[in-house]
Amino acid sequence: MPDIASILFSGALGLLVIGLGGLLLSRHAYRVLLALVIAEAGANLMLVIAGYRWDAVAPILSGDMAPVAMVDPVPQAMVLTAIVIGVGVQALALTMIIRIKRTYGTLDMVQIKKLMEKDFDRIASASTSASKSRGKA
Amino acid sequence: MNQYVILTVVLPLLAAFLLPSAGRFSFSIARLIAPLVLLFSTYLLIDVFISNTEPFVLHIGDFIAPQGIAFYIDELALIMALAVQIFALLLWPWKAPGSDTNSSASVKQLSLMLLLVSSANGLAFSGDLFNLYVFYELLAVATYGLIAYNPNNDSGFDTGFDTGFAAAFRYLIVSATGSVLALVGISLIYFLTGTLNFAHLATLQTTLYNPIGLTAFILILVGFGVKAELFPVNSWVPEVYSATSRRLSALLAGVISKLAVLVIIKVMLFIFPYDEARQFVLILGLAGVIVGELSALKANDFTRMISWSSVGQLGLVFVAFSIPGKAGIIAGLAVMFHHMLTKPALFLIAEKWGGNFSLLNGQGRKTWLLSAAFVIIALSIIGVPPLPGFWAKFLLLTGLADNTAYLAMIVILIMTVIEAFYLFRVFNHLYGTETDTSGNILRHSFLDQLTVSVLTVLLLVSVVELETVNIMLNSMTDQLTDLNGYIARVLGSSGAGI
Repeated sequence: MPDIASILFSGALGLLVIGLGGLLLSRHAYRVLLALVIAEAGANLMLVIAGYRWDAVAPILSGDMAPVAMVDPVPQAMVLTAIVIGVGVQALALTMIIRIKRTYGTLDMVQIKKLMEKDFDRIASASTSASKSRGKA
Repeated sequence: MNQYVILTVVLPLLAAFLLPSAGRFSFSIARLIAPLVLLFSTYLLIDVFISNTEPFVLHIGDFIAPQGIAFYIDELALIMALAVQIFALLLWPWKAPGSDTNSSASVKQLSLMLLLVSSANGLAFSGDLFNLYVFYELLAVATYGLIAYNPNNDSGFDTGFDTGFAAAFRYLIVSATGSVLALVGISLIYFLTGTLNFAHLATLQTTLYNPIGLTAFILILVGFGVKAELFPVNSWVPEVYSATSRRLSALLAGVISKLAVLVIIKVMLFIFPYDEARQFVLILGLAGVIVGELSALKANDFTRMISWSSVGQLGLVFVAFSIPGKAGIIAGLAVMFHHMLTKPALFLIAEKWGGNFSLLNGQGRKTWLLSAAFVIIALSIIGVPPLPGFWAKFLLLTGLADNTAYLAMIVILIMTVIEAFYLFRVFNHLYGTETDTSGNILRHSFLDQLTVSVLTVLLLVSVVELETVNIMLNSMTDQLTDLNGYIARVLGSSGAGI
């Protein structure tokens, strides 16, 4: 039977791979964001496992306890920070998705890119036509 | 006095969060506070820079490293932080986004600018990998907001905001993916060594010299490389720089990308000083040079051309840092600082020169000041002696030749020819015989003209003061490569606590 550590490690790696695969393959903006959430969960799990010890207790010192082996508390503190950062970024991304849906009427990443490029060209050609030059764009 | 350096991180952060509330009372107070904070931190940094010849360490909360977080302040970090303050002040959003009137930028935007400056200072100083990650994320969030909120609207179209949001979202996805990769890299390093302090990691370098360690390095390189416009993760560059205001693009391309480069140099020097790591950086850097310069050649508007050329230049920076030893660091710093001076000026020039190149026909005689500035900057980028760009490229090429990296040399020389080709094409429009009949004059605002002139004069001054520049680059390199000194200062309890 495989030990718990390797199961957790492969779980974290699996989440990462699923997330990165989703980021590369999805076209829908919301799914891209969900894939990012999954990948972040994988990274966070990886960070927790990095400092975990299976033969140890929670890192809390109480008055008359004899010192025993403890789980490394540093990655647990770090992962909290990482989770909070992740939530903030995801919320920001959601507001942007809403804004994009309102203005472009689509959440297809390919469509969004096309419409955006068209807008860039329009801005570029607008300044060109103002000067009545040859205009090759 | 030294411990007050921490204020350059704390004060802008505090002001960033107080500004929205202050703005409710009085808009003009909020508008005044933000630049004043930056001026104060500029003063602090100059003072510390003058009074210190040796690097020093600040232990945050008086917890001695590696338990606590250490700020390591050397000459390079101070100069980078100073550059952040000065360029933020030079490129400060005095006007509201997308309007030609003199109504000022909103409080939110000023607050985000302060957040950007604070996290950039943190990136320059921090000596702890996870602390760097947090500052990097803070910087990223500030840039997402600024990009979405800073439309480029020199055409008078009201599409600016929409492209801003779309570009910001696409950038956010790339950047957040990079952060996830960097976090995995950091957790691998922690798994192998049990520490994230740079000095402590420097003593454990051999523990990391294995496939897992190299994987961690590649993950961190690609992750932090997003902001440094590194090759596979730079698709956001032309989109973001086209969508946002030119002043913000100038700040992002000129200074913020260099802070990401600084983080990568620290990781390379202190944690992974191995040939395999350098090879990887060299390959990605060369790919960046090729992709950037070829795309710049294909671009048919000024903004996208200089955006891609910026990718190419940062590729050169990575190629330079991949050269082992001090020669590589000196060349890398030279190319980096040259890019830092020239690229913001080019983006400011693009403020009115965006759009098709034919728009520029005959402008060389109408707007002589900025056209002349453009010519000087472009010649320096190509590397025409005696301009500083020549010396930077000279250092880079001799460094490559000493390490028999001839293929890289050939690639860089070919790309220089391409660079010269597309920049000379612009000269041809500016000074060529084809004249524009409409009599349009592309006049920049006084502020932009002044900023570009200051940057160009700085470029020319560095030609005269080449000896001083050389001495400074050497002393920065000496401090950066003094690994034993670094370890002794951070892990010995010599630093000051706060």
